[in-house]
Amino acid sequence: MRNQDSDDGQSRGNSVASEGNAAGPLAGLRVMDVSIMAAGPWAGALLGMLGAEVIKVESPDGDGTRFLAPTQKGMGTNYIAMNVNKKDIVLDLKSEDGLRAAHALAASSDIFVQNFRVGVVERLKLDYETLRALNPRLIYCSISGFGETGPLAKAGCADYIMQAFAGFARMNGATGDELEAFRFTGFLDLSTASVAVQAVLAALLDRARTGTGQKVEVSMLEAALEMEGTRISDYLGAGEIPHPMGSASAALVPDRAYAALDQEIFLTAHDDEEWRALCNGLGLDDAGSDARYATNEQRVAHRQDIDTMIEKVLRTRPALWWLRVMERQGVPCAIAHGFETFRHHRQIVDNGMIANVQTPDWGEVSVGGVPWHFSATPCTVATAPRPGEHTEQILRELGLYADGHGSATATTMPMANKGTTA
Amino acid sequence: MTALQGIRVIEFAQGIAGPLAAARLGQLGADVIKVERGDGDWLRHAMPRIPELGVSAAFFELNTGKRSVRLDADAGEAGRFLRALLESADVFITDQPREALLALGLDASLYGIYAPNPRLVAATISPWGETGPWRKRKGSELAVQAVAGYTRYLGVQGRPACRLGPDVAGTGTGIFTSQAILAALYARQQNGQGQHIGLSALNTLLALKSVHLAAQTNPEQYAGARVGGAHYPPERGWRTGCGNLFFAFGGSVGKGRPGWVNFIEEAGFTRLLDDPRFDKTGRNSAGYGVDAPTLKPEYEREFARYSADELVAMVRKHGGNAASYQRVDQALSHPQTQALGLLRTIPAGKDDSSTTVTVRRFPARFSRLPTDMQDAASSPGMGIRPTPPGT
Repeated sequence: MRNQDSDDGQSRGNSVASEGNAAGPLAGLRVMDVSIMAAGPWAGALLGMLGAEVIKVESPDGDGTRFLAPTQKGMGTNYIAMNVNKKDIVLDLKSEDGLRAAHALAASSDIFVQNFRVGVVERLKLDYETLRALNPRLIYCSISGFGETGPLAKAGCADYIMQAFAGFARMNGATGDELEAFRFTGFLDLSTASVAVQAVLAALLDRARTGTGQKVEVSMLEAALEMEGTRISDYLGAGEIPHPMGSASAALVPDRAYAALDQEIFLTAHDDEEWRALCNGLGLDDAGSDARYATNEQRVAHRQDIDTMIEKVLRTRPALWWLRVMERQGVPCAIAHGFETFRHHRQIVDNGMIANVQTPDWGEVSVGGVPWHFSATPCTVATAPRPGEHTEQILRELGLYADGHGSATATTMPMANKGTTA
Repeated sequence: MTALQGIRVIEFAQGIAGPLAAARLGQLGADVIKVERGDGDWLRHAMPRIPELGVSAAFFELNTGKRSVRLDADAGEAGRFLRALLESADVFITDQPREALLALGLDASLYGIYAPNPRLVAATISPWGETGPWRKRKGSELAVQAVAGYTRYLGVQGRPACRLGPDVAGTGTGIFTSQAILAALYARQQNGQGQHIGLSALNTLLALKSVHLAAQTNPEQYAGARVGGAHYPPERGWRTGCGNLFFAFGGSVGKGRPGWVNFIEEAGFTRLLDDPRFDKTGRNSAGYGVDAPTLKPEYEREFARYSADELVAMVRKHGGNAASYQRVDQALSHPQTQALGLLRTIPAGKDDSSTTVTVRRFPARFSRLPTDMQDAASSPGMGIRPTPPGT
């Protein structure tokens, strides 16, 4: 077996910084991640950020995200973002040697992540029953679109499909609209990964008590419903079907964007104290003490009057002025930002909310920073691996490199870009 | 046996993030004590309400199965009580600002290893982050969505802004909080020590935006689904004779004779087969395809003969992906959702079993681990003020 990455003088590669990897709360655990695209891979990435050693297993064809536009220096930016904090091994799971290596890797892992279509893992012999027989302590995380049972179990899924199916898009849009999908695609994929990691960690704590692993199933459908949770309780508990309300909410008044002289300002009053502070800031002292508006329930009932009254004042001065006023008053407020205005913003930089990872091959790439800041076991974001970068290293460790099986097992990925399609 | 049996969680938080995290830990078997002051959690007073209970439906769901404590209005008494609770707790979840916690007499070591109880895992949640110029600025779901750039992906540029209707900042932060606590409890099993974890809603929405941050860093093409920004028109899928749908062909779908061709033939849209602008895999004209925006009217002219559901069935039959834009009530009653058994019905109050409320289960299925430990429990009414433990 020849690993071109180590033979062509590029062995330095996009390796994971081991010091960062050893520090997180999951240090010492190994994750085998055979998932593709986003919902599965980001679950692996989160576990990697938490300190686990995550080994991404790619087919010789490669994860599709490598070829999705846009690219940066030839690599799909989705691949770079979704595979941080991982090592990468290329295995042909359809070959005997590839399967042997996969089974050896699963036997040495604590957590397994897959998001193939329902039925595929059985065909590949990477189903839960097979892997459990090899490793009873394994936590087997299975991520699907619609769930593993039911009439749509085998239906394909993607972010936009689930936005439609789960009711997500029917909650957005201008007042009077029927629906609007979130144009920021992938949000439900990443949400699914996050829901899956929560479940994996619960199983991990259970294993610490019982010594036994288990199968954990998470679907994009369940994750979408989780993200919609409060709107679903509005329906289940109060019979109110959520509908598009522009920037406003059914829950609170005031809680929306209002036009100031130059641009919109986003304001919320969660409680009566914030309401009175808002009125005070706007010079609407009478409204602040008006018994008709004293509680949120009453304010919601007088939504129109309150909106009209507030906007009339806000329109007289620029948003920046009102932002200062509301900050002084202790009222939740903001003006909108976009990538260029927030990427170097001191608040975001100081809190490490964006990680600028230095990749040897693809330049500097901004990805999401770690969402949790642990005082004793800090986490870091480490660059995504070059495809196949750790094939030789991992096969050697598994004792499958030197015995000749490697040649049929591992294929090093060509670094040349296969071309990009939208 | 449950994952968190014997674990005590003190929740001193309002709204969505903190209470959601505590609720999930409760479903995993933890004993959750919710602490409130003054008028209580603002979410109690949000709309819409459960008529029989007088609390918001969202509050009910996020606080089922918890015990409730109302702190004394007197800061000295309240602080003493809270400190006593934390001395024997495993987990503390709060969205109170640092100044407020210190004013209650909590030790500043809460932000590291809590000296009075070094095994405590303490999660503090803020809107904008623990440090930086905005650390004291108040925030909200809406304000955080706006700063994280989420409102740029809805609505029409130059027109009034739109938010995501779901509370994604609060919910996403609740999930990250629960993850962080589970991970810290795991670390505690290894080294015996607790620690502090900082979380923020803005951090959450930027983490969940990782693909977009990467796509916008230094792209070689301004193409693909991840760079679409404020200038794009509102996305509502494809209009049909009844309802809208989203559909896609291509990728690994349709090897051999493309599924798209079969779909078009079955539906009788043969005009499109002769139109050279439509590639025969359907990849470019549907989904996020490069020609999808320009060819949308061509599809819609044909789709007018069918309902969204009829077209969805046909697309799926031929290997494509599709769904109609359902309302949430339709999504919940769909046979697929029903098959997963995601809902459960619980009594609305401890003393009143005649009123029931349907809520969602823990969002995952485990082969062994039981969840929903508090099936019979209801959401806490506020107002009990017990004697501090140990006094």
